[in-house]
Amino acid sequence: MPLVRVDAVTKTYPTGVRALARVSFSVEPGEFVVLLGPSGAGKTTLFRCLTGLTRPDSGAVEIHGRDICRLGGRDLRTTRREVAMIFQQFNLIRRLTATQNVLAGRLPLLPTWRVLARSFARDDRQLALRCLDTVGLLDKAYTRADQLSGGQQQRVAIARALAQEATVVLADEPVASLDPESAATVLDTLRSVAARGVAVIASLHQVGLATDYADRIIALRDGRLLEDAPRGAFDPQALEQIYERSDARVAEPAGG
Amino acid sequence: MALGSTPVREYAEPPTVWFSRARVRIALVVVAVVAFYVVSWHLAKVDLERLATGLPKMASWARKAWPPATDELPVLLLRAAETVAMAAIGTTAAALLALPVCVLAARNVTPSMTLYYPTRWFLNALRGIDSFVFALLFVAAVGLGPFAGVLGIALHTWGSTAKLWAEAIENVPPGALEAAAATGASRVKVLAFALVPDVAPAMVSVALFWWEFNVRASTVLGVVGAGGIGQELKNSMDLLLFPRLLTIILIILVMVTVIDYGSEWLRRRLE
Repeated sequence: MPLVRVDAVTKTYPTGVRALARVSFSVEPGEFVVLLGPSGAGKTTLFRCLTGLTRPDSGAVEIHGRDICRLGGRDLRTTRREVAMIFQQFNLIRRLTATQNVLAGRLPLLPTWRVLARSFARDDRQLALRCLDTVGLLDKAYTRADQLSGGQQQRVAIARALAQEATVVLADEPVASLDPESAATVLDTLRSVAARGVAVIASLHQVGLATDYADRIIALRDGRLLEDAPRGAFDPQALEQIYERSDARVAEPAGG
Repeated sequence: MALGSTPVREYAEPPTVWFSRARVRIALVVVAVVAFYVVSWHLAKVDLERLATGLPKMASWARKAWPPATDELPVLLLRAAETVAMAAIGTTAAALLALPVCVLAARNVTPSMTLYYPTRWFLNALRGIDSFVFALLFVAAVGLGPFAGVLGIALHTWGSTAKLWAEAIENVPPGALEAAAATGASRVKVLAFALVPDVAPAMVSVALFWWEFNVRASTVLGVVGAGGIGQELKNSMDLLLFPRLLTIILIILVMVTVIDYGSEWLRRRLE
């Protein structure tokens, strides 16, 4: 059974914009899949469906065989624990330290009084430090999040995903706000996370990064899945063309 | 010169319209504002002549007021302490009441929008009615003395504090809250872990501000019989006991200054 299975998912927003049109694919543990497409291709909508933040009009989104679209309340929260999300804007709690932000990944499992007092058990603290060590940020363990660089903040977010012990990691444009060097470090880290058996789905709009890091590329445009090909079988030039052509359409000046 | 290569020629400019729509509108606004002030001046019965004749009278009082009276110092200091106590207890009660309510009144974290609107209206009502007015009502209900003052301060400050706290909550970047919720944690944990660290400093700052403000406000409450040094102030004025009046004013100044410095020190320590 695949870890993630998206089955003919369709979503049209009330404004009439068709964000997703019968998108289907599945992801196995250990795969690093890149969703490639320009802005507006439907990548963020797809991610929101994968975490249950948005309900598709039709189709199913299965995590470990459970359709997240049909869940609510406690069941939804339980399924969400399996999916860790990494955002373009990092979304750390700025006044807390790196370690505390990593512990946020374990929020559902921590007793409420510990959360209120911000006092955690030794095992949890040690786990958080281990996660930071895995992403290479042990020396920043007690630094406040807003004092870290963009690349470091994103790696803390990845450490948070590790602490969550999720089996699926979704990364929505994880490197869009980073310089090339930090981007490379972050993508390397995500690859190593996938190597541990986690299914990683990252959305990118840079073709070069996708062809460098992905095990599989899923190309989206205007909500439709154009190509779903493993490494070695995708043609970088064809992808470049798909991307450029839609770009050119958007860039047409008013005067023609 | 960099412009050198651009040929010199006559450039076409849009025609100047002296009575453009925008200019007419501005002129009307100015006229309205001036009219408003003229009317207000008359309604407020501003009379600079009376001020001119009144000032020498105040100067003669100032002379009669020196030196300040020290014979009743213990009683006056007790009243000052009452004033500070009223402000402290009233503000603290208001803050405790504001904690649950501010969450309801914040658009991004309120559990239901049907609770949000009535809560906002309720808080606006409390804010709109000054502590003074509430204290006046409570004197009739619970009798003369500082307790009426405490209740007056508590109700007005409840509204003001909750509203400012709700605004601080609404200004939190939504991303951090969304990320915490995405782990599957319950609402309470998300608020406790991701919201509190961000808003706590602003909330404490607001509470300290109101405490300072209420110490000054409660000096006046005694005028309606709600206890504290205000009552002594009114008595001294009515009986024309100028040295005593001066003593009271000096005590108030010292009290307010000490509180202001203390609050500033606390604020910096919490940074």
